[in-house]
Amino acid sequence: MSNQKITVEFNDKIVRQFLLATVVWAAVAMLVGVLIAAQLNFWQLNFNTSWLTWSRLRPLHTNAAIFAFVGNMMFAGIYYSTQRLVKARLASDFLSQFHFWGWQAIIVAAAVTLPFGLTRSKEYAELIWPINLMVVVVWVVFAVNFFWTLGRRNEPSLYVAIWFYIATIVTVAMLYIVNHLSIPTSFTHSYPVFGGVQDALVQWWYGHNAVAFFLTTPILGIMYYFLPKAAERPVYSYRLSVIHFWSLVFVYIWAGPHHLLNTALPNWLQTLGMTFSLMLWAPSWGGMLNGLLTLRGAWDKVRTDPVLKFFAAGVTFYGMATFEGPLLAIRSVNALAHYTDWIIAHVHIGTLGWNGFMAAGMIYWLLPRLWSKPLYSTALANLHFWIGLVGILLYASAMWTSGITQGVMLTAATDNGTVLAYPNFLDTLNAIRPMMLMRVIGGALYLTGWLLLAYNMVRTIRGARPVNGSIEVYAEPAGTETAGLSLLGSIFNPPVLFSVLAFAFACAWMFGGDFMKIAGIVGALFCIVAAYLHYESRGRQWAAWYDRLLVTAMPFTVLTLIAVIAGGLIQIIPTVVAQQASNVEDRRQIPYTPLELAGRDLYVSDGCYLCHSQMIRTLVPDVLRYGDYSRLGESIYDHPFQWGSKRNGPDLARVGGKYPNIWHLRHLQDPRSVSAGSNMPNFQWLLTDATDLAILPKKIAVMRTLGVPYPPMSDAMVLANARAQAAGIAEDLKAAGATVAPDKQVIALIAYLQGLGKFEPVQHKGPEQGSRLND
Amino acid sequence: MFQRLILEDSAAIYTVAAFSVATSIFVTVAWRALRMGRAQVDRFAHLPFETETPASQHECRSESSSH
Repeated sequence: MSNQKITVEFNDKIVRQFLLATVVWAAVAMLVGVLIAAQLNFWQLNFNTSWLTWSRLRPLHTNAAIFAFVGNMMFAGIYYSTQRLVKARLASDFLSQFHFWGWQAIIVAAAVTLPFGLTRSKEYAELIWPINLMVVVVWVVFAVNFFWTLGRRNEPSLYVAIWFYIATIVTVAMLYIVNHLSIPTSFTHSYPVFGGVQDALVQWWYGHNAVAFFLTTPILGIMYYFLPKAAERPVYSYRLSVIHFWSLVFVYIWAGPHHLLNTALPNWLQTLGMTFSLMLWAPSWGGMLNGLLTLRGAWDKVRTDPVLKFFAAGVTFYGMATFEGPLLAIRSVNALAHYTDWIIAHVHIGTLGWNGFMAAGMIYWLLPRLWSKPLYSTALANLHFWIGLVGILLYASAMWTSGITQGVMLTAATDNGTVLAYPNFLDTLNAIRPMMLMRVIGGALYLTGWLLLAYNMVRTIRGARPVNGSIEVYAEPAGTETAGLSLLGSIFNPPVLFSVLAFAFACAWMFGGDFMKIAGIVGALFCIVAAYLHYESRGRQWAAWYDRLLVTAMPFTVLTLIAVIAGGLIQIIPTVVAQQASNVEDRRQIPYTPLELAGRDLYVSDGCYLCHSQMIRTLVPDVLRYGDYSRLGESIYDHPFQWGSKRNGPDLARVGGKYPNIWHLRHLQDPRSVSAGSNMPNFQWLLTDATDLAILPKKIAVMRTLGVPYPPMSDAMVLANARAQAAGIAEDLKAAGATVAPDKQVIALIAYLQGLGKFEPVQHKGPEQGSRLND
Repeated sequence: MFQRLILEDSAAIYTVAAFSVATSIFVTVAWRALRMGRAQVDRFAHLPFETETPASQHECRSESSSH
């Protein structure tokens, strides 16, 4: 081995770029958040425009907060810490720049398309398919750059922060690809390959784990690097961090169904989601305590150092959010909280309290080091902390109060629980208006704090010299005390083989027939006994395997992927295989007519699903308010599903036929004309813009490819059917005193709304052939 | 084989199975983590400190950095 040392200069330019982008996009995300919060109080702030309407801006807010704000922050933290932990410069300057500019292009594309109503409607997965492809390309570039850097590292061991980064990269890739599988109908529109309950499960498997592996695991990695650095002492317990990582990565991926409790999702999936959510308490709090206890002996610094203040509060908010999450996943608690502002409080504690404060702490720590100049004002940073803290506490307490108030009012009943105490949904909405206003104030305070950070940053870096860190390493990397593993060696070894065999036998036991069941029990017991005996005789071999794994990036990555893939497969495969229209019992959805399909796409485009669910839960108050509970088969042809996640307005699953066409027209034109006190925006452009009927044959063809049983129809038949139905609705409106041309969007939307809740009883196997077309 | 999974009222089995699987993984990882040697743990825990950075924002110096 050569004793000659060389100096490695880190690529900190890319860290500075992502850091600046973080500050800018965070301000945009928060500003849009404050605007849409204000729109819920003052409908006039929608300005009667489509692209400034609440339901178009809300996806912009969530995507900006997750992918633009936390995404850029995550990349800055990962690139800074990884280079130092592995003592190597990022593998490729070109890939780093491609990653940065590609990610910013994605954000800009999202900011342009979402306000124009170009959306897939699946939460945090709204972006249209060409942007999805851009995300995949940029994510692969990020992964290649990261793993290439690990391959060139001068430090053999992989610190736990790197483990969290690896889990982030592989899991987000898996989730994103599966949940975005779609068939395009045009350059800006597509239908997801999954429908109904399948789509709901896949979406919340993705949605929950986007929170887990985009907003949590990378930030935990950042916590494990930056918190010890800022506190100038190592992590409280490295052992606990190991337990934290593996248990979190394994348990998190199973918890997605807790977003669908009390719905038509099969009961076993709901139970599984709830159970794993409850088990998340242990690893989450283990990690939270590990972070806070790292500050042992440094609490005096927290009083004066804004960096440690932000980190201490951020980790505390992580504890709050991860306590509240499992609590909300308890089915009875969820019955009260779901669809209300309580969930909004929960997600903002996570995003603003945990992510936002960790971002602020990291930025204040990095600024002087990346520009070699002391922070412009520590006092201003401290002021940011207190304003932000008051803001988030005000926000959260307002939304807790609002959610519980509305939840209690919506479920309140009299006459031995047979009559709703507040039958008018608007009564419950108007009761929470003061809390919704307090939310605006809390959010505005948080934004003000962030603007102080932006000002502090500008003053700090103005006239400063950007610097790149460096480190001296041996020209030839030191040999490791523990040899690494080959990819095959990581799999073909006693611990993994015994685990895989035991798992396979357990599956045979649970899912197999009579013989398989007995074979499964015997095989599983044999594996356990054999593994124990092997361990007793060759214990060193087992320990050596794990030690070698810790210094080998690629096998470690493969095993992490296996850990996260297991939960998804066990939930998704049975659902996709069994929950098909041909197996549905009781009721089955009737496919939409061409005009209804066009109206449904407008419903999706205008974001109606963000306020109106289409899922009457198996709860008495829901049934009393909205009608018979929703069956699994009643949305089996919905690509994408529209079960919703929040009710700012009533459920629409059975709204079809409830009101005349003229009511819907008035309601969409000016909601307050028929619902006094409503905060719904005016959708006036629906009365002037024309429906794109020409694309309908293509859409019907894609639907047929996806398994929706449309009868054979020529393009002309599709168009004729749509025009005939539109003419009928226009005539009905004319008879009621309103003149609207049949080609206007509002006609198609009314057709869709009037078709909601229509089903056929299942009397024989095999779906009906588009019987609604013959109505 | 999936019919039984979906139609039977057997939620309790899945709860127990889920808890057993997660517990076994948790115990295994915890056991392995607790068996890590003191020297190995210290080595891992100090990895962030092997690359020098200025001690605090007020002592930000450029000597540990190069342009």
